[in-house]
Amino acid sequence: MTAGLCWSQVRAGEELKGFSLELTMTRMVAQVSGTQDFYPVHHDPEFARQGGHRDIFANTAFLRGCLCRIVTDWMGADGFLRALSFQMRRPNFLGETIAVRGRVRKTIAPDRVDLELWIENGGEVTVPATATVILPAS
Amino acid sequence: MAYDVKAVKRQWEGYETPRQWGRYPVEHEPIHRHCHMLEDENPRFLEEGHCPPVMVDYFASLGPYPPADYDIFPVIRAIPTPGDRLINLNQEFEWFRPVKVGDRLGASHKVVAIHQRGTRLDPLSVWIRTETSIVNQRDELVARRTNQILVHRTPEEIAAGTSRA
Repeated sequence: MTAGLCWSQVRAGEELKGFSLELTMTRMVAQVSGTQDFYPVHHDPEFARQGGHRDIFANTAFLRGCLCRIVTDWMGADGFLRALSFQMRRPNFLGETIAVRGRVRKTIAPDRVDLELWIENGGEVTVPATATVILPAS
Repeated sequence: MAYDVKAVKRQWEGYETPRQWGRYPVEHEPIHRHCHMLEDENPRFLEEGHCPPVMVDYFASLGPYPPADYDIFPVIRAIPTPGDRLINLNQEFEWFRPVKVGDRLGASHKVVAIHQRGTRLDPLSVWIRTETSIVNQRDELVARRTNQILVHRTPEEIAAGTSRA
C-alpha cells in the first residue's frame, strides 16, 4: 500500500501496480464465501451450462473487489474512493487467469484523480472500468 | 401471448422498496474473508476496521440466507420476464462517507428502467436497471449504486419457444 500519497505527487499516465489471480476452483469457492453470492451460476457447473455458459464464472462482487483493491493499494491511507464504474463484457471462467491493471487518466485540482482500470483475461479486456479518487492536495 | 414489455415497464419502473437494514452490523470477519479471496493485505481493512468501499451493499443486505432475500434479487424475481436466469452486466458506485466496523447500514432499491433487447444468450433478454441507496445508522447517505442485470432464458427454453411471462 502506498503511504501518504497526495494529489501533487500524481501524474497522468502513471501506472498503478497491478496483480494477477488464477481462477482455480479454490478461488471460486473463496469468491462465493467472500461475497456470499450463492447464485449457482458462480459455483454449480451444471447450472451454468444449462444457462448457456461454458462453465462457472467469477461474480460481480469479486470482480469489483479486484478493481477496488488495485485502487486502495495505490491511493494509501489518506485517499477516498469516490466513484467506480465497470462493465462486465464477458464472463471470467474457472481455470482462467485475470490480470488487474490501471493507470492515471487525469488529475483535476485541487484533489481529484481519475483512473482508468481494467481486467485482462487471455489478452482481452473483459472488464473495463473507471474510478475517481480524492487525495490530500499536498 | 407475447411478452408485453410496455405493461411491465408501466407496472415496475419507479417501484421502490422500503428501506431494510442489514442483518448484521459491519464486522471484521466478513471483511477478512473479502480480503483473503482477493489476496488483499491492506492493514486498513484487515486490522484497522475500515470497510472496503465495495462491501457496503454486502453489509446493507439481508443475505445470504434465505437466498431470495439477497440484495436486489427479490425485486428482480418479482418482475415478469420470459426467462429467470440472471447475469450482471455493469455497475456504478458513488461513495459519500467512509464506513467502519460497528456501523449499521440499510438499503432501498428502486427499479429505474426495464427494456427488452436480444442478446447472444436469448433473443428475448430483458435488461433491468436498478438504483440502490445505502445509508448508515445516522441516516446519512453512504453510497449509491446503479446496477444493470440481464434476465434470460436457458437454451432449452429458447429451443422449446417457452416463456415464463
